[in-house]
Amino acid sequence: MFRNILNKGRRLAGLGGLVAALTVAAPAMAQDKEPIVFGGSIPLSGVFAFAGIHIHAGLTDYTDWINSEGGINGHQVKYVMEDTAYEVDRSVAAFKKISGSESPATYYGDSTGFMKAIASELNSQGNTLMSGASFATALTDNEQYPYQFIPGPNYSQMFGIILEYIASQGEGGDMPTVAFVYSDTEFGKDPIENGKARAAELGIAVVEDIVTKPGSVDVSSEILKLRRVRPDYVVFHGYVLSPINEFMVQMRQMGLDTKFMGTFWSSDKLIIDKMGADADGYMGVMPYNYYDSEESGPMLDALRAQAEKSDPEADYRPTGYMQAWFNAMVWTEVIKRTLDADKELTADNMAEALASIEDWDTGGIIGIPVTVRDMSFPVGRIWRVNAEAGRYEPVSDWIHLD
Amino acid sequence: MDWMFFGEISLAGLAMGGLYALIALGFVIIYKATRVINFAIGEIMMFAAYLFLAFAGGMEMSAWIALPLAVIGGSLLGGVIEKTMIRPMLGESPISVVMVTIGIASILVGLVEFIWTADPQLLPSFLPREPVFIGDLYLAPKIAYGFLIGSAVLIVYLLYFRFSRGGVALRATASDQAAAYSMGINVRRVFNMAWVFGSLAASLAGVLVAATGGLSPQFGIIGLSVLVVVIVGGLDSILGALIAGVFIGWLETVAGAYFGGEYRMPATFLVLAVILVIRPYGLFGTHEIERV
Repeated sequence: MFRNILNKGRRLAGLGGLVAALTVAAPAMAQDKEPIVFGGSIPLSGVFAFAGIHIHAGLTDYTDWINSEGGINGHQVKYVMEDTAYEVDRSVAAFKKISGSESPATYYGDSTGFMKAIASELNSQGNTLMSGASFATALTDNEQYPYQFIPGPNYSQMFGIILEYIASQGEGGDMPTVAFVYSDTEFGKDPIENGKARAAELGIAVVEDIVTKPGSVDVSSEILKLRRVRPDYVVFHGYVLSPINEFMVQMRQMGLDTKFMGTFWSSDKLIIDKMGADADGYMGVMPYNYYDSEESGPMLDALRAQAEKSDPEADYRPTGYMQAWFNAMVWTEVIKRTLDADKELTADNMAEALASIEDWDTGGIIGIPVTVRDMSFPVGRIWRVNAEAGRYEPVSDWIHLD
Repeated sequence: MDWMFFGEISLAGLAMGGLYALIALGFVIIYKATRVINFAIGEIMMFAAYLFLAFAGGMEMSAWIALPLAVIGGSLLGGVIEKTMIRPMLGESPISVVMVTIGIASILVGLVEFIWTADPQLLPSFLPREPVFIGDLYLAPKIAYGFLIGSAVLIVYLLYFRFSRGGVALRATASDQAAAYSMGINVRRVFNMAWVFGSLAASLAGVLVAATGGLSPQFGIIGLSVLVVVIVGGLDSILGALIAGVFIGWLETVAGAYFGGEYRMPATFLVLAVILVIRPYGLFGTHEIERV
């Protein structure tokens, strides 16, 4: 652009010089302002490392991108993290270390356990807003967790979106039946009671309710129970891959025409990559567009360009990456709103800025404008696996819960 | 009561118990010969399952070539561990040796994360997928065929220990090391052989269990849950491992089916607690009497 201006003649030479000077000076001015710190307890090793690696990549790439855009209101962003191995005590230690030395404005928590454990300290410090990998329903309790938010719908809201979709599939007044299958963990049990209540409101019968031990090696007996009740839909929660594959394969071997659905962490492309053709027809609720979806938008395009730039070899970015990027987007929006209102970056001010988000255009990360409700973004869409194409495709409109 | 349902879940539980018995066998062989409680048995299982994934998935070998290669790889790993890390610990306190096995487990987890990443994996399908019916009773094909393969190997093991020279040497060393040594048995070689054979059983079980329930670097935790089996059966009893494995598999499945998945572990630990009170050395374990 500068070349065009300068080529137009001497009359514009002075103007060109001014613009060039400002361009050179701008980063220096930005660097004069104190950097804003994004902190993170990130599970780069341990049981959640498969997602933690991509969460870290998402936060790193977003930080690089926002800094290349001039930072937040002229403040450069610094991302500081520690590996936690997905252990609560290590996450707490990482938080103490980072908050002691860097005063992060926002922080990524790697688990519900950590976010609950750190709540009292976070509340007493009052200068950090936290979100992270958790979509736990409990964290949307503003009384207990005023400085924590969910970067999407919480697990109960995800069940709500799934159940609304199932209800819409009822034909001739016949509501489909559903079974819930979940892991025997805090994560797995989170949405079950609310899910049953919502199903009852919609007139959907929950015909079976199966809990499996985490890392279960054999689920034959659970599948035999489902064979007897023959649900129209099975909704999984609290798993990443196994035993979803076993349920799907064995129930199809039995000749059942049940459809299978899952929540956020059960709806990554990993299921397609590992299950192949057996994954066909599996459906998941996802608050963000998939990296390889046909959707576009300025922010989604920027995400893809940054991902391509940071690792040209990787042709796909998992949902953990998208989720981390969205977390950082919300942090940026909240910090910007707070600074624009000439307020200090305290947890109270940032929580207030978060609550003010209404009809926010996320630039294609989420397909419709979103509004914060009770520190969460209760929006999502149902996507179905097309195994032949090797990706999820949308089968519902975006559903925004009130 | 729905007897058909009870029959089906019992069948599934017994079949799964067969695989538990195979893992327990790996545990017991090593303990019986060397008196080392090998806390890395689950990670050896895991490593063998990842080897299978590499051979059958990455290198696209036939599963029936990949399976023996993976099992041999796992058993060689056991032999190398014994020779390089356990043997130098001879004469040290049992706690130190146990700590070494826990350290080995951590190293193996790190190694598979480094080579195969932390992503959950599914093994290439290699067992028949057609449902198996015994009379009217349904049995999941992976469990059924896994049980058959596991049982065949168990029988070979039992025959080997009963009739071969190596088996006799192992049993002799297990019952009295000093006497075995004085009779010309190469005790160090027996120790190494025990690790190789124990790891071989565990490796086969690892591939079969991973074929059913998937694979991740945390897969080795299954090895610890089989600790219940070996304590119930008796740490040094092969017969105990077999019977307790099948029983615990059945109990876990029946408890899960009737009371819910969250009661699987409490049911097995209840049995463990009762057995420890009544027979602290296990159902078939050796009751050692120490005279002061």
